[in-house]
Amino acid sequence: MFAALYAPSVPAAALAGVARQFTPRFEHLGAVILLDAGGLSRLFGTAQQLGEHLRDALSKLSPGDTIPRVAIASTQTAAALLALGSPGLTVVMPGKEAIVLAPLSVGVLDQFERLSGSGLRASGPPGLQASEPSGWHHPRHTHQASRGKRRAPDNRVLDILGKWGIRTLGALSALPGPDIHERLGDRGAYWQQLARGMDARPMVPWVDDVPFEVSLELEWPIEGLEPLSFVLARLLEPLAEQLERADRGAAAIYTSLRLTTRSVFTRTLQLPAPMRDPKTLRTLILLDLESHPPDAPIDVVRVFIEPTPARVLQWTLLARAQPAPEQVTTLVARLTALMGEGHVGSPGLVDTWKPGAFEMREFHVNHPIDNRPSPNSHPIKESSIAELTSALRRFRCPVPTRVAVHEGRPVRVQTDRQGFSSGAIVQAAGPWRTSGEWWEETGQLASGPAGQQGGWDRDEWDVAMPDGTIYRLVVEREVGQWCLEGVID
Amino acid sequence: MAARAAVEALLREKKLDRTLTSTLPERPGEDAVSPVGSDALNRALAGGVPRGQVSEVVGPASSGRTSVAWAALAAASRRGESIALIDTFDRFDPPTAHACGIDLSRLLWVRGQAVSKTAAAIDPAWLPGVRAVNGPGTFLERVIDRAIKSLNLVVQSGVCTLVVIDLIDVPATALRRLPASTWFRIERAIEGSDTAVMILAAQPVARSAGGRSMVVGGDTRIQWRGSHDRTRRVIGVCTRASISAARCSHAQDVPLATTVVNALT
Repeated sequence: MFAALYAPSVPAAALAGVARQFTPRFEHLGAVILLDAGGLSRLFGTAQQLGEHLRDALSKLSPGDTIPRVAIASTQTAAALLALGSPGLTVVMPGKEAIVLAPLSVGVLDQFERLSGSGLRASGPPGLQASEPSGWHHPRHTHQASRGKRRAPDNRVLDILGKWGIRTLGALSALPGPDIHERLGDRGAYWQQLARGMDARPMVPWVDDVPFEVSLELEWPIEGLEPLSFVLARLLEPLAEQLERADRGAAAIYTSLRLTTRSVFTRTLQLPAPMRDPKTLRTLILLDLESHPPDAPIDVVRVFIEPTPARVLQWTLLARAQPAPEQVTTLVARLTALMGEGHVGSPGLVDTWKPGAFEMREFHVNHPIDNRPSPNSHPIKESSIAELTSALRRFRCPVPTRVAVHEGRPVRVQTDRQGFSSGAIVQAAGPWRTSGEWWEETGQLASGPAGQQGGWDRDEWDVAMPDGTIYRLVVEREVGQWCLEGVID
Repeated sequence: MAARAAVEALLREKKLDRTLTSTLPERPGEDAVSPVGSDALNRALAGGVPRGQVSEVVGPASSGRTSVAWAALAAASRRGESIALIDTFDRFDPPTAHACGIDLSRLLWVRGQAVSKTAAAIDPAWLPGVRAVNGPGTFLERVIDRAIKSLNLVVQSGVCTLVVIDLIDVPATALRRLPASTWFRIERAIEGSDTAVMILAAQPVARSAGGRSMVVGGDTRIQWRGSHDRTRRVIGVCTRASISAARCSHAQDVPLATTVVNALT
């Protein structure tokens, strides 16, 4: 059973307040508030008594000269149309919707569409959905957006019905359905469905903006992560339940710790995928705090979660199953706590000629399924010889070396470092001269070979040593410093 | 043979028969191995690097050992698998790896400390705000310890199907000091899983009973092109890889040719 409230002179928020006094399940259809009245008979008696309660509650808000409209029916459409079209209180017995709706003017359908806006149209029949740019939206977004984006309705159907002499809903519902569809299309069939008091979609209850935030003031300050983990578990479990009820996941976690020094220590964790498992969230917060511990005991713990729509997982049966994002995020957090920030992730190439330039990106496993061969893929040839591409092992800290040069070519390499071969060069190839970013004051790249921030201007040589090792030798032209940059392996 | 049978019977009696290579279950199907990016190597490896096992690639400098490991990573990434590289001394070069065919977006790169073999140079990029590299043992031992811990975390998570740990520049003395239980723990963690672990080192370190050893090097020849000093360039290395496994009586030799990538190729 549904109840509809309509009082144009009362603000929507006040109407919602009245609805909230009766049930938490209500929906905004423009200026009409639709209530799910199922189960309210135990509290308010029969449908008639419920209607009177609603009317009395609305009368307190309405000015004296306006009569609030309340309708109760077994379908939401009938209740809403009656609230729009009939003054005062209307209670419809189940199964009598079409009869009660029959005397209403056809214009009420147009009014109904105007009020409900895109919210109802988007969930109307398939033909209507196809003609509208909007798709399915979350109720919060739908209703909030619909107020600002209301458009002038298409009155073509209303005009045609007027020309046919159809003035009431009863006349419209009496017309043969296939003929209506043939002449007026999906929209006509939809209007006839409304005129008969039939619902085109289920009710979508309003969801309040509930902050996903919990805090706990501790009786005694705590120090260290172990006691904090118990506190976080206590805070995160209800928060995770709250997220689950709202079908939300955490996009970011803000952990705010008020310390005994009266300062507030705040950490923010951006999560790569929405998640709401309390154990995973607690582990991530603890691992982050392990790397960035607060410098004083903790008085108050506050956790705020930025919600985002939960994930919809649809994997193919034909591809290897990917690990869950929670698993990946926890692994990366553990590795980051162990190795340090910037030392865990996926390498990414940057648009530069700078030798060895790269950037660290976030590691994730949700790659689009693409069966096309990559342009960089190497087809496996059927051959008795294993043909591979040589790897370069780059010394991120270039190894300074002394080089003897004869006629502009290196002939001997000498280094004091253990594990590097020294001696006469057997063969040398080069120089390959490169330079760049000399116009920059400082390097723009976040990462790159150490000691090479900013511009570069150098010569590269590939040199073969007597023991068969091939080094990449570079000389910084500006300072004349020779270094071993890597080994071809 | 009688002595062997007696030992096996004793092991079975003590419920230690899982240590026998003959009783280890074979994983059937193509999915039991992770093929590397070379047909010749795949044939010698009986399809590829076995999953659920620890294999190793060893060899001297410029022998092509790193190229073999990167080829395995590239092949796995092309199949859409997630891969990991535990880079103990931060020697990985992303542009060259990209040229080798590795899909970098599928690679979990765990960068260790960029340190030279003298342990004197510490990467200034080791950011503040993270744990300092301190604790018991020498600096080098602590860096290796972190790499091993990272390997443990990665294989226990099961996120990546091919995990390579680069121990090439680790001194032999430091490797020998690692307790044997280190590698048993890794073997135990991946046993029966889809994850294959590959140890990249200068000399043999460890291999599980079902794993493969690829010894690269020997008869290494550097290929040059160009007769004049100004036009000469190194184009590649020709060498051999010897592949052995516990159940094979003799090693298989595979000719290996690597192509050097530089500005001219």
